[in-house]
Formats: sequence, C-alpha cells, structure tokens
Amino acid sequence: MAKLTCEGRTIREINAEIRRLLKDGEAVTVSSPGARHNLGVALLESGDVLFDGSVGYYCAGLIDGVKVRIKGSAGWGLAESMLSGEVIVEGNAGNSAGAAIRGGALVVQGDSGARTGVSMKNGLIIVTGSCGYMSGFMGQGGKMIICGDAAEAFGDSMYETICFVGGEIADLGNDAIVAESTDEDKQFLDASLTRYLPASVCANLPDGGDFKKVVSDRKLWNFKKSEWKTWEQAL
Amino acid sequence: MSESSSTPRVLQKSGIFSSSVIEDIQTKAESGIYRIRGYGTLRERRWATFDDLTFLPCSLTRIPLEGYREKCSTKTVLGSRFAEKPIELDIPVMITGMSWGALSYNAKVALAKGASEIGSSNTTGDGGMMAAERENSKTLIYEVLPSRYGINVHHMRMSDGIELTIGQGAKPGTGGLLLETKVSDEISKQRELPVGVDQRSPARHPDMLGPDDMIIKIEELREATGWQVPIFVKLGASRVYDDVKLAAKAGADMVVVDGMEGGTGASPAIFQDHTGIPTLAAVCEARAALEDMGLYGKVQLIIAGGIRDGVDAAKAMALGADAIYIGTAALIALNCNRPLYVDDYHKLGTEPHFCHHCHTGQCPVGVTTQDPELMKRLPIDEAAERVTNLLRAMTLEIQMLARSCGKSDVHHLEPEDMAALTPEASAICKVPLAGTRRVWGS
Repeated sequence: MAKLTCEGRTIREINAEIRRLLKDGEAVTVSSPGARHNLGVALLESGDVLFDGSVGYYCAGLIDGVKVRIKGSAGWGLAESMLSGEVIVEGNAGNSAGAAIRGGALVVQGDSGARTGVSMKNGLIIVTGSCGYMSGFMGQGGKMIICGDAAEAFGDSMYETICFVGGEIADLGNDAIVAESTDEDKQFLDASLTRYLPASVCANLPDGGDFKKVVSDRKLWNFKKSEWKTWEQAL
Repeated sequence: MSESSSTPRVLQKSGIFSSSVIEDIQTKAESGIYRIRGYGTLRERRWATFDDLTFLPCSLTRIPLEGYREKCSTKTVLGSRFAEKPIELDIPVMITGMSWGALSYNAKVALAKGASEIGSSNTTGDGGMMAAERENSKTLIYEVLPSRYGINVHHMRMSDGIELTIGQGAKPGTGGLLLETKVSDEISKQRELPVGVDQRSPARHPDMLGPDDMIIKIEELREATGWQVPIFVKLGASRVYDDVKLAAKAGADMVVVDGMEGGTGASPAIFQDHTGIPTLAAVCEARAALEDMGLYGKVQLIIAGGIRDGVDAAKAMALGADAIYIGTAALIALNCNRPLYVDDYHKLGTEPHFCHHCHTGQCPVGVTTQDPELMKRLPIDEAAERVTNLLRAMTLEIQMLARSCGKSDVHHLEPEDMAALTPEASAICKVPLAGTRRVWGS
C-alpha cells in the first residue's frame, strides 16, 4: 500500500502521482485531502484508492475501472461521468452525485444532495440515507436505490432509470410513477445491498420487498402521436 | 355599369396579422404545441449585420499587398494561454459542433475529411465522438454538452481540444431537440436513449450551475486531458460582455460566441427568431470584455452564427475574432437546399432554397437524416471535396480583403480597416459612419 499526502502538492501533482502508483500496481492511500476539488479525476487504471478524509467537487469524476473509497464526505459531482469502477463514500455526498454515469457503482453511506443520479445513463447508485430535490432527473438508464427518504420532484422526466426508495417520497417528479415491484426487483435489491453495504448497515434497512419502485410513465417520451402529422405540416 | 366592375378591388393586408402570422396562429390552434423546425432564424426584419460594414482598402494613405500573389498568412494558433499543445490550423475557418443524429453519418465524415484536407478542424456535437470522425479529422474538438450523451473520457483524451458548451446561438437558454424520426437504432445506442423518443436535451449541465462551478469544471477537464489540450467555452450570445468575462475568468483558453443567426437541427422556432443578440453585436461585446480584462489576444475569440462567406469572416476578424466557426454554410456546401430530388422537397411542402425541414429527418439530399436510403444521396468523398473547396474559397476571400488593406496576415485586420454603412452598425462596432469621421453615438 503506497501512501501519498496532499499537503504541499497541487491537484495536478496529486493526480499524476496516484496514476503513477496505480500503474505500478500499488493500492494508494491519499492522506490530508482537505476537501480539495478534482481529486482522483480520470483515473483509468484498475486498483484501489483510499482518500483518508473529505473531498471536494468532482472527486473520482471521469474514471474507468478504479475502486475509490472516501473516508469522509464528498462535494458536488462525485464520480460524474464514470464509465466503470466503484466509488464508496463513507459520509455524505453533495449535489449531483453520480451525474451522467455510464456504468460502475456509486455508494453513498450517508445522505446525498439534490439531483443525485441526474442524467445517469447506466450503472448503479446506492444511498443509504436520503437524497435531495430532483434526484433521478432525466435518468436514462441504470438503477438507483435510496434506502431513506426522497425529496421533492423525485424521478422527474426519466427515460429508463429504475429507482427504489425505502423511505418516504416527498413528491414524484413529472412523468414519474410508482410501479409494482417484482420478485426479480426484490432479489436485485437484496443482492445489491448485501454486496455493497456492511452487514451492520443492511440490518437496519427496509426489507427488499418494502422498497417503492419508481419508473417513468413514458408520457414525456414523445409529443402526442396525433400531433406528429401537424408538426410535419406545420412548417 | 355596376359599381363592382368600375371600382378596382384593393386587398389590404394587415401589418400585424400578416399571412405568416395567421398561418402560425391557426397551426398552433390545431396542434396545441409550439412550432419546431431547423435551420436558424427566418426573421425578415433586418438588424445590424456584417453587410452594414464595408472595407476601406488602401489607396494613398496605406499601401496594399498584391492581391493575388504576395504572402498573407492564414496560420491560426488557438489555446496558448494554458494548454501545452495549442491548436495550430492552416486557416482561420473551422467547422462548428453538429451532432451525429442531427446530421447523417455521411455528412459528419464528409465534414471531417473536408476540413482536414485544408488544415482546418472539426467538432463533435451532442452524442459524443464517432470513430470515423476521429479517424478522418486531423484536428478534432470534443464537445462537452449539458446532456453528456456519449460522454467518454477516452474520447476526450483522443481529442485536440475540449469545448465546454454552455449555450448555442440558435437557442440560448434551452437545449436542442432530436425528434423521433432521427432517434434511430444507431443514434439511440450512441446516446443511450430509447429508440424513437423525442429527445429534448437539457439546458443546464448536470453537475455545475454558475461560473464559480465552471472554474472547477475546467480544472477537471484539464486533469482529464493531462493539461495538454485547450479548453473552449462556448456561449450563446445573450449577455455577451458579462458572460465572456466570466468564461475568461474561469480559465478558458478560448471563448466561442455564437450569435442569434446560428443554425440548429431542431429547436422551438421562437428561440431561433426571438432570442439572443446578432453575431455582429456579439463580436463587439466579446472583444470589449476581453480588452477590459487585459486578456484580448491572450484568450482567443471564436465567432459563430450565420457566417456565410469570407467577407463575413474577414469583418468578424477585423472586429476582433481570432477564428470563425461555420455550420450552416458547410451544410449548404454538402448540398443542403440544392435543387436535387426536387419531388422530395415537395413532399415536405417546400422547395430547394426554402427548406428548413432538418427536424423531420427527411432531408432530400441526405445531410440531416438517419434514413439509410436518403443518406446514400450524399457520397462522402464528393461531399468532402465541396467542403474543402468552400473553406479554400472563404480563405482566399479573407486573404484578398486583408491584402487590399495592406495586411500580410489575416489576423492583422482591424476595425480601422472598415467603415459603417448605417448609424446602428457605427454605434455597435465603434467604426465611423461612411461619409463622416464620426462614430455614431460617441
């Protein structure tokens, strides 16, 4: 396990050193992250990176394949546009956690802010606590599990993201509906929560069958078909 | 003789409720939805444009260069502020971002090949990078848009520049549209959307809101690309002076300002016709912003929005642009609105030279379609040659005007090389009104 301190180093130097160590096959522990922005951006090597403290904006953004653990909280845009890999934050995450991810898994072991999973295209997001306003907005694919409560406008304007909420939903967003869960959904929830969360956390979560499933009602997917002919002519 | 046969019949049209207004109201009364179309503004009422300026070539007070012979450099370097590998182009005219989805595969590849042949650049668009686009582009700019469709860090790292798009001239303040006929199997896969949806792109980036966030976002993009390539920030022209200042402060290497004459594949018509400010005004505000920050010449300025030829480009450069983006003009070079397959224009209810039906996906000449049969009408190599030719002709036009003004480098054109033909253009551009020695309003 290689150790690296952020003290006295620029972000560019820190990220370059993390990449070099990962390339050498080392697991990396990064101390004194000091909630600085853009830590662990565009890590494209497989391996493990531990940030020993809180991180700022866009931590682990644009990654592909690496496993990142944050022993603290994270700022905005955590793991944004991740292609694959795993990001676990032991504290809370700010707004737009998991924005536009195309794969991989993001696990927030506390609460997450507004627009969690906004524009996510694929992958998995798990929040053990609650999520903020407009989470799931314009979700295109993948799955999002909120073990606690979901704030207003949840799942607004989604395409094919499937969301599960263990607690209360303050308000569904435009075109979001609660759908009936299947046995397959329950199995998926149990398997995902067991895989990514400590047993002590899982023990206090709702049973898989008690999660509400939220999907798109698909009414915003298209303007009404009857109007298409009009558009075609309406030039 | 009856009264009706002796009095000429006079039809008096309303100046408010014109034929097009009546048609618009009645169409919306049927559909219950705003009008959607492509191409760009169709407004007939004039505003100040580059046509309101004229060049003042040399005579006795200045000495011209030989128009057809002497060297006049067109080399264009962009992004030397922070990037380790600035973009070097042979000409100052570049191809703007237009998506695979809005455009056909053949059109995208033809633009890439055509631009590369003459040492210009090409830009990706919503939906990300096509492999064939990268293969055929000598210089390729990767757009990072609010939708993040197809976002891929590996593709970013294969690019020669990153363009963080905040807005677009045709529709500042809102996202674009890609209607169901164009969300084909391939496009759906590329954008990770259900086949056949009416895709409406978001207006805001998912993980940043204001200019303070953008400072951090730009640093992230530099980290992702190893600080090698320049970062552009693209703005739809609205509050240009303040927006350009904020983009430059946030660390952009170049700022792109896209005026209201800019084109689009599909957008609400009201945005195309009633939002943003004209390109002429935008370039003047952008230059003033950079000058006031002491960054003019350090942060490069790229101007877009309805640029038709080398004359528009030269005037924009004289007013302060370092380089020019073209979009619609390049599509017209591909064959847009050419009188071919005229029956298919008629099926769309239009005629060649009047077509703005990009949103239907039924482009008669294979430019803005995903229909494989229509796309075959645009052979890539022939289309690429036309793009090269247009870029070459535009560059020659810029050079001719520059030489006539005594410049050995097209980037040496300056406001003093022009006069205004209208008081409005004089006031906007701060150049004297022709026939006077006075800048209007000063």
